[in-house]
Amino acid sequence: MKLLIVEDEKTLSDSILSYLTRENFICEVAGSYAGALEKIELFDYDCILLDINLQDGNGLELLKQLKANHKSDGVLIISARNSIEDKVAGLHLGADDYLPKPFHLSELGARVAAIIRRRNSGGNTLIRLEEIVIDTQARSVSINGHPLDLTRKEYQLLLYFAYNKGRVVSKNAIAEHLWGDDTGAAANYDFIYTHIKNLRRKLVDAGSRDHIQSVYGMGYKLALS
Amino acid sequence: MRLFVKYSRVNIIASIGALLLGSIGYYFMIRYVLVHQLDDTLKVEEAEILDYVKTRDRLPEPANYRDQQISFTPAGSPVARKFIHTTGFDQHHNEDRPYRQLLFSVRAGGQLYTASVSYSEEETEDLLRLMMLVTAGMIVLLLGTLFLANRLLLRRIWQPFYRTLEGIRRFNLSSRQPLPVSNTDIDEFRSLDEAARQMTNKILKDYEVLKNFSDNASHEMQTPLAIINSKLDLMIQDPGLEQVHHRPIQAMYDAIGRLRQLNQSLLLLTKIENNQFVHTEEIDLALLTREKLVQLEDRIRDRHLTVRADLDKLCLPINSYLADILLNNLLLNAIRHNQDGGHLEILLRERILRISNSGPALPFDPATIFDRFTKGAHSGGTGLGLAIVRQICDNYQFHLTYSYVDNRHVIGIRFPPLQNFDKMQG
Repeated sequence: MKLLIVEDEKTLSDSILSYLTRENFICEVAGSYAGALEKIELFDYDCILLDINLQDGNGLELLKQLKANHKSDGVLIISARNSIEDKVAGLHLGADDYLPKPFHLSELGARVAAIIRRRNSGGNTLIRLEEIVIDTQARSVSINGHPLDLTRKEYQLLLYFAYNKGRVVSKNAIAEHLWGDDTGAAANYDFIYTHIKNLRRKLVDAGSRDHIQSVYGMGYKLALS
Repeated sequence: MRLFVKYSRVNIIASIGALLLGSIGYYFMIRYVLVHQLDDTLKVEEAEILDYVKTRDRLPEPANYRDQQISFTPAGSPVARKFIHTTGFDQHHNEDRPYRQLLFSVRAGGQLYTASVSYSEEETEDLLRLMMLVTAGMIVLLLGTLFLANRLLLRRIWQPFYRTLEGIRRFNLSSRQPLPVSNTDIDEFRSLDEAARQMTNKILKDYEVLKNFSDNASHEMQTPLAIINSKLDLMIQDPGLEQVHHRPIQAMYDAIGRLRQLNQSLLLLTKIENNQFVHTEEIDLALLTREKLVQLEDRIRDRHLTVRADLDKLCLPINSYLADILLNNLLLNAIRHNQDGGHLEILLRERILRISNSGPALPFDPATIFDRFTKGAHSGGTGLGLAIVRQICDNYQFHLTYSYVDNRHVIGIRFPPLQNFDKMQG
């Protein structure tokens, strides 16, 4: 999978590069509007991570350019401007998703994976995690072929872990993913614990190995052997 | 008080005063002239009597006509010649009448007499009265004309002023329409119009600057936060990370979350203040509240709250995003500042929304509950949630109240009747 990260803040693009490269993605970085324009004209990408506030241009123009060139690259806008207008404009211009800064890398990873899955699935909507199979079309889960009944939140949680498999996902990232922005700092993380406990119990009861590990006080990790 | 009323009042009072003073002066002057004329007549009479006495050395016959009397009375000593006002009995009318009288001494046949020549002042008085009547008529006519002329003139002259005023009143920041030019040949109004247009143009420009500023501020603050957050996300992947570092990292995550939320809330508040959410649609508040309760069910369950919702359908023309924020903040607030196993009650009836939750009394002045950064010492919130609620209510002229009754915090919003919405948006 080939990704292009268009971001003029080098320290941030370094982080993204480092997090996503380990996901078996080939990542390239463009630090400016001009550099990005050159790259998108020369190559095709599965997903472009596009910061719209660039020093030398507006990322939305790149979107227009993509459209004009009839390119079908997936686009995830990452913007410091958390404004509805920008979001609407971006999605209208053909972006697949919009993620306001600051974000958790796990959230970014999940969104990128979802975009690529939607675009390149070619009918394959299944994610396999050893004995666990997630059908993203039917939004259902099965263990060793037996369907597993999960609540909406538990399903979202499992999918989030699947998109970030092998990674430690912080509790803050989970809370924001499941309950949105206004989780509130110093929130009570007990309900995350409850949901994860329930998910683990259901998976184990259905005959799966206990893949979800707790990482001290910070977060959780879905580890495959 | 309208300008015209005020102007007319002053104008008419001043006119009446001036005319009254003028009339009094006029009265005395005319009276003086008329009496003087009468005195001349008396002098002619005196001269005739003296002439008569001089040539014949005896008195003429006394006369007693209707408006002129001449009489002589013997006197011991001469009197000083003088004019006086007096009254005399008029046989024709059988009543006392005012007379002007001239007394002087005359010597005839060796005897000293006091001669008295009187002339009725009645005619003078009549004339004076008539003149005063005419004057009064003139005053009334003058005032009436003045009033009408002012009214017509003022109305016409002030037309451009009212046009400019209407333009300012209709001025709406979010529509970005500059004031229309009002054509007038009156310099004062033209400069008023120009000044108003300059001012609104400046406001429009400042508004634009402010809007850009908030966008830029957002950019400048969110990016460093994104960097810190991403570095932490990478750091926790490190298997060599020691357990003693976990707690500080968690604290950093929490602090970043708080900063991010604070930043977003402040920007949101500014945007609402700037009226940047113009688009309105019909929102069913009851439906939206139910949706919100479903979204928040985890938190409600987490705190073991008993929820009672009694919601009548109420459709309001409101921006959907703001309606969402309004209910979200109110409900989140009622959940967060509740006690475990407490109550949460939501009533929507007769255009009043009332959200109440159990909880201890506020540790701060209840009057400041909707102010920015008002919060309890242990609240993990930004202290902006209810400030945002108030700003939204202010924008839509909803009436927002807080009270604490029977260990319950009650926040109420009264929505104005529908026609007020039209007025607001017109």
